[in-house]
Amino acid sequence: MKIDRYEFPDDLYYDREHNWARVEDHLMTQGMSDLGQALAGEIVFVEMPRVGRVVRQGEPFMSLESGKWVGRIRAMASGKIVAANEEIEGECSLINQSPYDKGWLAQIELTDPAELTSLMRPDAAFAEFIAAERKKYGK
Amino acid sequence: MKFYDLGHVPWLHSQLIYHALPRLQREALIILAPAEPYVCIGYHQDAEQEVDLDYCRVHPVRPACQVADVGPGAIPVFRREVGGGAVYLDGQQIFYQLVIHRDNPLVPRGKEAFYRHFLAPVVETYRQVGVEARYRPVNDIVTAAGRKITGTGAADIGDYQILVGNLILDFDYDTMVRVLRVPDEKYRDKVFTTLRENLTTLRRELGLVPPYQELVDRLAHQFAPLVGGLEPAELDQAVYDKVAELTPRFTAEEWLFKRGKRHAQRQVHIATGVDVLRRVHKAPGGLIRGDSVLRQGRLSDVSLSGDFFFYPAEKLGALEEALEGIPPQEVEAVIARFYAAEGIESPGVTPADLAQVLQPYGAT
Repeated sequence: MKIDRYEFPDDLYYDREHNWARVEDHLMTQGMSDLGQALAGEIVFVEMPRVGRVVRQGEPFMSLESGKWVGRIRAMASGKIVAANEEIEGECSLINQSPYDKGWLAQIELTDPAELTSLMRPDAAFAEFIAAERKKYGK
Repeated sequence: MKFYDLGHVPWLHSQLIYHALPRLQREALIILAPAEPYVCIGYHQDAEQEVDLDYCRVHPVRPACQVADVGPGAIPVFRREVGGGAVYLDGQQIFYQLVIHRDNPLVPRGKEAFYRHFLAPVVETYRQVGVEARYRPVNDIVTAAGRKITGTGAADIGDYQILVGNLILDFDYDTMVRVLRVPDEKYRDKVFTTLRENLTTLRRELGLVPPYQELVDRLAHQFAPLVGGLEPAELDQAVYDKVAELTPRFTAEEWLFKRGKRHAQRQVHIATGVDVLRRVHKAPGGLIRGDSVLRQGRLSDVSLSGDFFFYPAEKLGALEEALEGIPPQEVEAVIARFYAAEGIESPGVTPADLAQVLQPYGAT
């Protein structure tokens, strides 16, 4: 789905924090959506999460900085962090340039895949949510 | 919203109170000043790379709160959970610290809108005392001459958004530049000059410093309508207990020396759009060192040095002049044209090598 200039791939889950998740079996790859990276602005640093850490849905597990603002990334679902994208540590501009591909953030092994039902899919309701968010943020 | 007008407080409290409040699920506006000087680094910075810790350990200022000193009689060094760079803070700066729930309808959405909205009281306070200040995106307040007159930063802590900043009454430029870790004195001089040019104070603008309480009252008066009114309050025991609980964590060496941004080169951020650069590059023909100041995307004060050959040598100064005002991305082309026009020879050093030492972080 494309909403104005923002891409939202159809096969992904989204949350209200402007993150995306790609789920294969019990492995969830999480990143920041196209609109999310636009709202963040130029990202100048990302603090990598500790692999092996167990996180709950909604819990902050890593941070990034843009415009002297330290923002937290919250886990889209509960589980154990099994990988972090080391590429973005040295080149965090990848999150801005390639949010769905090279700029992914972390991989989490899900402990409760049922939590995914609380996330959004790119449908009409999601389009309404994005429209409201864009209006709110002036994006 | 609760308003804590705290006056001068122990330096550690000047940081930990605003870290404690979101953990207590409380909104507030805090205005205070630190009773003792200290160095404060940004959440993602690397203390060893940014701060001359040896200098801070032996600098003879009066001891502050011993629990977090890096040594006896030292300038304490603190890592905050807020973004931005290393700063030297003392009692000549009045801190404003806003802690507000992210879902509070009074919070504008978006980073720039948030800064613009909540820095407006600071702009107006400066104006009321005679400084023609204005907001400059993303997070600066500058004078009519374009000099920065506040430092700001923000963070998400739990479900709260934090804005911190200062009214700068006076500023110890010498100590600020001295506590930074720099490659050599030449670079330090450049940072000092650039800082003096780009950061100003109420004393420099007005020739005097308005009374502390007058500034606090004006600031609070301006903030009040933006936060739904202010209710003056005293800090209660729960806040002090939370501060005490947080103290071991925020004063631990593991926290101060937490791994942060590491850069092979040095770049000191002075204000939005102003950075002092030092880059070194080993080319086949020798080591090249580049010093420059990046102002609004254009180079100035360019200096090229090192142990490479450059013929005719007297043209190096002309090349440096030719690079004044050039955007970093155009530097290589300008140098190449200069080489062709002047018949420059520099064995083992190409225009691309020289251009490399005049690029900011992330450009190469």
